[in-house]
Amino acid sequence: MLDFCQCTRILPARHRRRDRSNRNIMQKYEKLEKIGEGTYGTVFKAKNLETQEIVALKRVRLDDDDEGVPSSALREICLLKELKHKNIVRLYDVLHSDKKLTLVFEHCDQDLKKYFDSLYGEIDPDVVKSFLFQLLRGLAFCHSRNVLHRDLKPQNLLINKNDELKLADFGLARAFGIPVKCYSAEVVTLWYRPPDVLFGAKLYTTSIDMWSAGCIFAELSNSGRPLFPGSDGDDQLKRIFKMLGTPTEETWPDISTLPDYRAFPQYHLTPGLTQACPKLTARGKDLLQRLLVCNPALRLSAEEAMAHSYFNDLDPAIRNDRCQ
Amino acid sequence: MAGNFWHSSHHQQWLLDKQDLVRERQHDLSILTEEEYQKILIFFANLIQVLGEQLKLRQQVIATATVYFKRFYARNSLKCIDPLLLAPTSIFLASKVEEFGVISNTRLITTCQTAIKNKFSYAYTQEFPYRTNHILECEFYLLEHLDCCLIVYQPYRPLLTLIQDIGPDDQLLTLAWRIVNDSLRTDVCLLYAPYQIAIGALQIACVIMQKDMKSWFAELNADMEKIQEIARYIINLYELWKTYDEKKDIQALLNKMPKPKPAPQR
Repeated sequence: MLDFCQCTRILPARHRRRDRSNRNIMQKYEKLEKIGEGTYGTVFKAKNLETQEIVALKRVRLDDDDEGVPSSALREICLLKELKHKNIVRLYDVLHSDKKLTLVFEHCDQDLKKYFDSLYGEIDPDVVKSFLFQLLRGLAFCHSRNVLHRDLKPQNLLINKNDELKLADFGLARAFGIPVKCYSAEVVTLWYRPPDVLFGAKLYTTSIDMWSAGCIFAELSNSGRPLFPGSDGDDQLKRIFKMLGTPTEETWPDISTLPDYRAFPQYHLTPGLTQACPKLTARGKDLLQRLLVCNPALRLSAEEAMAHSYFNDLDPAIRNDRCQ
Repeated sequence: MAGNFWHSSHHQQWLLDKQDLVRERQHDLSILTEEEYQKILIFFANLIQVLGEQLKLRQQVIATATVYFKRFYARNSLKCIDPLLLAPTSIFLASKVEEFGVISNTRLITTCQTAIKNKFSYAYTQEFPYRTNHILECEFYLLEHLDCCLIVYQPYRPLLTLIQDIGPDDQLLTLAWRIVNDSLRTDVCLLYAPYQIAIGALQIACVIMQKDMKSWFAELNADMEKIQEIARYIINLYELWKTYDEKKDIQALLNKMPKPKPAPQR
């Protein structure tokens, strides 16, 4: 990488000033604590010393000297630049100081996974409804802009202290296809992947996110117990088919033409799904069954799901929220 | 391509107006005439095209790189960063954003060196002076000056839709496609929406092929005044090309061009 005196050689005075001002911007934030390891760097909680506002700083590692700014970070930057919505995490700023790139995000107190951990097994059904609705509303917005998230899971859903839910961690999936492994120690989970993707479908559509939303809905209703905690691809599919019945050419035309298709035992449709989510109302169970459909063509869209009767008694304050 | 043009940063932030361009270029235009300035930008658009073709990039990636380049200089003087460095940097960034995949920096530099030596020796007598570290540093500045707006809409897709509506006509498509490519040598990508540029290019193509499509154009419900402006920009470019010999004139223009101070060392 370039050292600073070299950079003064290519860049004229105006830019050197800019760079220095950026260094000041870096001093504008007081780092408070490490929140976690993201897909391409470390995330810190920090305070804006001018406004006292708490933000999340995502430091982008630039360790590959050949790649420059990593594609995954670029993907996240350019998508979030186009997606401004209350249920999508806000990117405030992108800062660079000589060798580092720092993304400044709106800070949320926790992600859905940590939220579950704080519940001790009890969740208010109205909270389930509110979170699912906000998740669907964020997704509907992404999908209307032709953006797929492709990697939805509780760790990627942030919750702030007003119980607002926000989609986060964009970009990785889009840029690289569904990632098999992360750069950090965290292993990407299969639990929220739909059967079509597990069978190697290459053409992704919005239905991929709708399956994940269904899995998260079930998990919400069970205060954080995952619905399909598979250990590998085969185990994942087996768990799904045991609960939903193994799909056939009748229920899912051309299933056997998928690249990684393999035959599974013929499990039959059981009331397993509704039994697995005992706390859901009949309407909730109906919505869940329309999201968790093996054939991607038959899954509800985010817009359709938001119109489902399960949400008839949704708190109007949440429904009528202006989200732009 | 992800997104929706009407809600995009391209539509909301990066359709500039002519007065903006005049104001931002004031400094450069105190040294260069408007025509000289245009010739310099044409030269670098050509350079980006040649580099992109050597790297076997899709036209979409080349077009995006050209738009980054033009957006940067729509807000900055030519002396801010040497365009010879910004051109390959734009390609580097665009190839990542357009999901073409990362071009190895070594390959990018080698391609620049070869192109400058073999194809642009009429403009540069010395070898390509920049290295990987310069490109990586420059990428930061480009990103910052684009305000991180990286998703760019191009006229190619709307053009395909329009031609489909007219009825398949490969000759017309090829010609209009080339006119869209040529339009990257004008300011239209900074001033007009991609679908308008597509219509403008199509209109010129129809005139050249003597295809009477007046009633079809009339039904488009497009702002025909804008379409005429776009066509005017492109026709002016063709007029310029009739008498302009880049090989003969460009070296003098590059010498006259405002430069970063102190100049980069090799």
